[in-house]
Amino acid sequence: MNDKTSGPVRIFSVSTRFQEMAQRPGGLPREIAIERAEVQIEEFKAEFVDWVDRELAELTAAFDSATAQGGPDEAAIEAMYLRCRQLRDTGSTMGLELITFVADNLCQMIDGMRSGSAAYDPAKIECHIDALLLAKTEPYRNMDPDQVFEMIDGLLRVRERAHLRPATEAQ
Amino acid sequence: MTANTSRDSRSGLRNCTVNLRDLTILIADPGSYMRRVVYGMLRGFGANRILEVGDATGVLTALTNQKVDILICDAKLPPQGGLAVTQAIRRNTADENRTLPILIMTSDTKQATVKNARDAGASMVVAKPMSPTTLYDRLVWIAFDRRQFIDCPTYFGPDRRFKIEGYPTGVGRRASDKIIQVGEETGPNLDQDDIDSLFMAARAGQSE
Repeated sequence: MNDKTSGPVRIFSVSTRFQEMAQRPGGLPREIAIERAEVQIEEFKAEFVDWVDRELAELTAAFDSATAQGGPDEAAIEAMYLRCRQLRDTGSTMGLELITFVADNLCQMIDGMRSGSAAYDPAKIECHIDALLLAKTEPYRNMDPDQVFEMIDGLLRVRERAHLRPATEAQ
Repeated sequence: MTANTSRDSRSGLRNCTVNLRDLTILIADPGSYMRRVVYGMLRGFGANRILEVGDATGVLTALTNQKVDILICDAKLPPQGGLAVTQAIRRNTADENRTLPILIMTSDTKQATVKNARDAGASMVVAKPMSPTTLYDRLVWIAFDRRQFIDCPTYFGPDRRFKIEGYPTGVGRRASDKIIQVGEETGPNLDQDDIDSLFMAARAGQSE
């Protein structure tokens, strides 16, 4: 590290081991590196549906638990949020756009519930879980959202209404 | 530095490659499948030493037990979150990992969140979901990042000084963000170019 100033604020240069090593010659050319990464991801696709099944089971369990206790506590909301966030993030990376869309819509709705701008409504969550269960099956799995316009339009309206309801409104 | 300039600057890195062989890369994400996906990408890029953890305790344990060269960490890593982990690493004056490159992955790309990541000391933020191209280019960016470090009573980390010219309405929103929002508006989501521009130091002579 090279100090450039003295006093309460120090500004200094850092050369990390990552930078030194990563700049070595011999790295894969960008296009080849990206292509190989895509091949690796493609190999994981076979396991993706099983993983979606497990995540959906966890999401459903969190939802059922919230329903059984008459409403969600913070832990249940966070558990649901984590599962649908993971479905959204990995779904898009794996190229499954419909699952990504539904999970994203649910994420935004739960985000609203967490921030207090949307009321918790079990029916609205349940219809998203149903949509995810459908979206993981053939032939929907490989469809784009615009190929199932009615379903997408319905879910968007559900989310829109969730945000229009005051957070204090009873379920 | 504007988003356009950041694009121009990054296009200059298009010809750069990174050699990840023998570098120890730590992936920290609560999702096992997400970790697997990132692992796969890194393997494709040529990395051969990749560690995975699912929570903040795992990060701190891994950093204690071995030399890690870069941390790729989810912003919502349980329990405290990836930004708190970043801050803890940067603020520990006795820790040799203080200057560790930290790449934060986040699904929440609101401007406030990205700024919080930068203020915590993140080297770069990458928006989830991410493609191999996005991850590769961010790693190149970090590898060739010439920003200096700042150490002051309120901050330790890469130089945060930057200049942006604002975000025209709608720019940077996700394609699905077309529903009216009645809830508290915390700013639009940023796209990766906007995020990159937030991390570009604008000081003269640093933007090679």
